Parts: sequence; C-alpha cells; structure tokens
Amino acid sequence: MAARQAIQVGTKTVRPVLSLDSSEARSRVLSLYKAWYRQIPYIVKDYDIPKSEEQCRAKLREYFVKNKDVTDVRVIDLLVIKGQMELKEVINIWKQKGHIMTYFKPTEEPKPKDFLSKFFSGLE
Amino acid sequence: MSFTLRTINVGRNVARVLFNKVCYPVSQTVAYKSDQSQAENRPTVAKLDPLQKSQLIDFGKYVSDCLPKYVQKVQITSGNELEVLVHPDGIIPALQFFKDHHSAQFVNLVDIAGMDVPSRPNRFEIIYNLLSLRYNSRIRVKTYTDELTPIDSACEVFKAANWYEREIWDMYGVFFANHPDLRRILTDYGFEGHPFRKDFPLSGYVELRYDDEQKRVVVEPLELAQEFRRFELSAPWEQFPNFRGNPVEEVTTADPKKE
Repeated sequence: MAARQAIQVGTKTVRPVLSLDSSEARSRVLSLYKAWYRQIPYIVKDYDIPKSEEQCRAKLREYFVKNKDVTDVRVIDLLVIKGQMELKEVINIWKQKGHIMTYFKPTEEPKPKDFLSKFFSGLE
Repeated sequence: MSFTLRTINVGRNVARVLFNKVCYPVSQTVAYKSDQSQAENRPTVAKLDPLQKSQLIDFGKYVSDCLPKYVQKVQITSGNELEVLVHPDGIIPALQFFKDHHSAQFVNLVDIAGMDVPSRPNRFEIIYNLLSLRYNSRIRVKTYTDELTPIDSACEVFKAANWYEREIWDMYGVFFANHPDLRRILTDYGFEGHPFRKDFPLSGYVELRYDDEQKRVVVEPLELAQEFRRFELSAPWEQFPNFRGNPVEEVTTADPKKE
C-alpha cells in the first residue's frame, strides 16, 4: 500500500499523502487539469454562465498556473485533492451559478498601483 | 456537540500546559486546591469516585502494557477522565483495541474533536471520545498531526467517524487517508481556508453581498472600515477555576529506552 511507505521531503522522512515522488504528483495534476478541461463545455451549458468556453479554459489555466511554484509533493497532493473535491461539487451541481462565477470575480475592482490612480481613488 | 467539546478541550489544555511545568510525585495522590482537600460535598459539583478512578488507572496501565508500541502516555485529567495519547500510526489499532477488547468494549464513538496549537511541531491534536455502555465508562484517545501528514480514517472501525472526520477536514484541513467520502460538511461551496485554524482571521478573508447588477450573491475580499484594533480580552476573574486544582496526573509514560 502506497500510503504506508515513507518519502523524503527536504531533510525529513514523512508519510506521503498520495504520491511517492514528484513525477507521480505531476501526472495527478495533469489528469486533474484534463478532467476540468473536459468538463468545461458541460459547465458552461449546465450553469448557464455568461462566459464562453475559451474564457473558462483561460481561467482554468490561470488557476493551475497560480500554483506553478509549489514543489513539495505533499502540498501538490493536497491541492490536487481539493481540486478534485471542487470538480465533484461542480459536476454534481452542488454548486450554483454564483459559486462558478466567483472564479471570475467580475465585481472586484483591481487595487490602484501607480501614484496617479491611487491619488484619484483618494488613497494618497 | 463537538463545538462545546472543542472549547472545553482547549481550555483544559491551557491548564495542562500550565501544569505540565510542575513536577508531581509518582504516587497517585491528588493535589487539590486547599479548600477542596476534604471530601467534595457541594451539591452542584460532580463527586469524584475514588474506586472508579483507581479502576481507570488500572485500565490505563493495562492499555499501555497491551499496546506498548503505540501508546505514548496515559494520563488522568480533571480527577477521573482517562486520556490515552497514541502515536498517529497506531490510531486504528488502538481504536480497534478499545472497541473489541472484552474488558473495554468502547463501542460508541461519541465525538472526534480537533485542536490547533500552532506553536507545536505537530500543531493539530485529534481527540476521540469513546463511550463504553457495557462498563459505563468513557475514555479519550488523543493523537497528533500537522497540516500535511495524513491520519488514517477511523471509519473502518467506527461508522460514526465519517461525518466527524469530514468536519475536522473542513475546519482544520487535516487529511484523513482512506476516508470513504471526504468532502466539506459545514462551509459553503467555494469557501477557501479552514476556519478553526488559529491563523484563520476572526473576520475571515471574504465577504458576501447581493449585487443588484449581477443579480446574484458576489464574493469579495474583506475590507474593514476600521483598522485592526487590539482588544483586551483578559478578564480579572479566573477563567477556568476547575482546572486549577486538578492537574494532569500521569499514569504511565512510554519508556524511551524501549523504542
């Protein structure tokens, strides 16, 4: 049983979550990405969101790329597990339209970064 | 339910931390508050049964002899509550022992609670409360883990563990390996973070409101009108008076030479 073996993370010997090495973790990430990718047409149809499939695919890619610098196998595994749970919530339509649209954050105004826009928004 | 238990456990553990620094004699005499040294006769306070306590001590010693590989420490808190501190690898064998052993028969899992102490190397404590109807006795089994180390699911031993473990996963983010249906149970879909962690802010990270333009509820990052304020939360009165006079008593400790 894989979960009984120990893996080396840094200097510590620890119990793995799912994967024993980074290649296995990588394949898990890729299969999760594919699963989400294949689900996108059905998401757009079932939830009736005002987004196209291309926009959803870009958003999916953005969410995966956000964690591209994670190297710890166990952290990757936990992220994959959470992603799988989320996918399940989407597939079973436990989520609603609002939950899906939360990924796109249409109402959030980006924080002003340069001096002038900060000045106009009254921060400085 | 588990919420109350959790707060109680946290409070108790604060007391334990305070008292662990004091050395106690090896014999099983109880150090009470000076006014409690005689027999308890206040009507609202639970009486301490010395016979029951000696039986619990005997049982604790027996347990640590039966499972020397997994039981790290056996202790008695609050006078007569037996606690068995177990290594995380041995939580399933230990629970199986308590459930199936003829002279234990702790067949009911009352609750599983979690506790977060960020200063420890293994910051999460998982606490299993067991009840033996046959012997009218309760026991508390404790183990520990950190954010990334999975713990074996107790579902194969106790069916009741299913939802409790989901609750702990949801509130603390402790992953239970081999759980049949591990998913969120209390938080909303799309919720990020684990609210019972001590590093989770009291106000949360996001706020929800109905947006008239979008015609739906939107989630936005929290913006507080007021900057963080330092609240003075310490009170002049004693917060946990019952734990002052009831230090943790060790029944047995795992011998480091044996390991």
